[in-house]
Amino acid sequence: MPRIYIDGLPYEADSRQTVMEVAAANGIVLPGFCWHPKLSVAGNCRLCAVQVEGRSWVEISCNMPVAQDLKVLTDSDIVREYRKSILALTTLNHPVDCGICDKAGECLLQDYHYEHNGAPSTSHEVKVHATKFHALSSRITLDNERCVLCSRCVRFTHEISKTKSLGIVQRGDTSLVRASGDGAFETDAYSDNVVDLCPVGALLSRSFLYKSRVWYLKATPSVCPGCARGCAVNLWHRKPEWKLQALDARHNRAIERITPRDNPAVNGPWICNRGRDLAPLFERERATQAICAGFSVATPAAIEGARSLIERARRPVALVSSWASNEELAAFAAALGRHFTVFVKRDREPEPGEVVADDILICADKNPNSTGALANFASAWGPGSTLPEGTDLLLVWGEGFDLAQVPQSLRTIVLDAWKNPGHARADVFIPVSIQTERRGTYTNFEGTVSGFEACFEKDDSVAHAEDLFAALAAANVAAA
Amino acid sequence: MKHLIPEFEKLRERFPEGFDSSLVLPCLRRIQEERGFVADSDIEGLVAYLGVPRIQIEEVLSFYGQFRRAPVGRCHVEACRNLSCSLLGAERLIDHLSKKLGIRPGETTPDGEFSLATVECMASCGTAPMVAVNGSYHEAMTAEKLDALLDSKRRGD
Repeated sequence: MPRIYIDGLPYEADSRQTVMEVAAANGIVLPGFCWHPKLSVAGNCRLCAVQVEGRSWVEISCNMPVAQDLKVLTDSDIVREYRKSILALTTLNHPVDCGICDKAGECLLQDYHYEHNGAPSTSHEVKVHATKFHALSSRITLDNERCVLCSRCVRFTHEISKTKSLGIVQRGDTSLVRASGDGAFETDAYSDNVVDLCPVGALLSRSFLYKSRVWYLKATPSVCPGCARGCAVNLWHRKPEWKLQALDARHNRAIERITPRDNPAVNGPWICNRGRDLAPLFERERATQAICAGFSVATPAAIEGARSLIERARRPVALVSSWASNEELAAFAAALGRHFTVFVKRDREPEPGEVVADDILICADKNPNSTGALANFASAWGPGSTLPEGTDLLLVWGEGFDLAQVPQSLRTIVLDAWKNPGHARADVFIPVSIQTERRGTYTNFEGTVSGFEACFEKDDSVAHAEDLFAALAAANVAAA
Repeated sequence: MKHLIPEFEKLRERFPEGFDSSLVLPCLRRIQEERGFVADSDIEGLVAYLGVPRIQIEEVLSFYGQFRRAPVGRCHVEACRNLSCSLLGAERLIDHLSKKLGIRPGETTPDGEFSLATVECMASCGTAPMVAVNGSYHEAMTAEKLDALLDSKRRGD
């Protein structure tokens, strides 16, 4: 375990680490565009240079192996002057279009320029122009004028997604990031990660393009419900203080973008493209009207109707949701678990064109909490499953089950969040809240528990399932 | 490209095992010698033969100015425009060539006889300005020398 000194302070290091890694592990931020903890070292931006004590010039810390008693300076006069020069070079041909750039507010070049340079350009040359709005794929647009050629995106496709679909063509100041001609980038299921990786505004998501300035948005920690991996994500939505008054009020409840949230235990810093596309799934037309015996009723009346059906049932069966949180499942188990024969159903199956499974992140089970549900209720409901003999009440919680499969005479209670014509067949329908309106946890297929927070307030007409079950449990059922 | 595979196999023997990507350059050079340029089908063939990512071949092709992606004329005239040649009047020579041939750099005459290109340093700065025709160097060029050179090429010399 060598000991190195950064700015005079000692730090223990692993002999395989670089100075940059030791600094990062100890909370010391060394600037850099090309270095990324999960990618190989390119060493081409030169911005992370440090001075080794006793030497008169600088060396890049991202490619500097540690050695016993190595002493590096990250803030000497030489380092400061060098960083200033590097940033002057980096900004030489970089357009000053921060005012219309989606990356403004979270751009490393902006941050570093103000921190380490801040001086106006000394160049009188016309900037080199390059392609703007180059469609790298149907999902990503590339502005080559903003690109600083850090090659993070190229290394990502070579090392992480393994499609080897991006490269740098041409040379010198005409170099351009380009996708290979075989369309491999278009089919890369993880391609959108290059947007997060890009330190500047060169690679941009076409779905988020010009949608919002990032300082109007707030990131709420959440878990991607797209599959059983349960990747940690941030759901970006409008900050309450920037609530829109005059425009469509739906903007205030919209998920503007979904980005990965670094979780080494689950997904690291990546998520798949499908996970980024889940906003429309959340934003489908919501069910807000409770139904009882064919009539629209207030939710408390529907709860009372459901409660009396449960009370009268002798052999009730429940199909619980694998999109439910552990807390909701525990609430169901505590309030109604002993009264019902419970099966865990899959709410969603792979859709046409969706990557079913791979060896990176994507799991074949397209439900976030099958593991948590099966930990509470051991029986799984599959394609060949049938209701037990004598079933006189069926409670369906969540999506993925068509009531047309059961006889009209069977009493049914449905708890769901989204509109579905099939709900009209139910004796009682109660609208419930969705993941973005409540906090909770999911257990992924490996048994890792991840938590999510609420982004929005639920509508008054819908109930939180967790609160519902105690109300559904009749006194004699709860006591049974 | 298939008929070149025995040659590629011989080339492969020169490299350590697992260094197939090192074959990209020599294979592309040989393909261009044979066809005059590198076609899309050649890229696909090389991807299949070497097992390298397509983007790697595209990077190499676009990095090196010597590789061509389209056919050129019978006489491929390349004029250097780098510093030494430029200081000694390369731009005037390139203009002269353009007027004489009726084409701009990057174009081919309608009869397919001549194509014109500008290139970076030919590593012959001591004899600037430089012009190459089909890879043969012609040193210390002047407008008169160029006229004589083009006339001789027209005659098929």
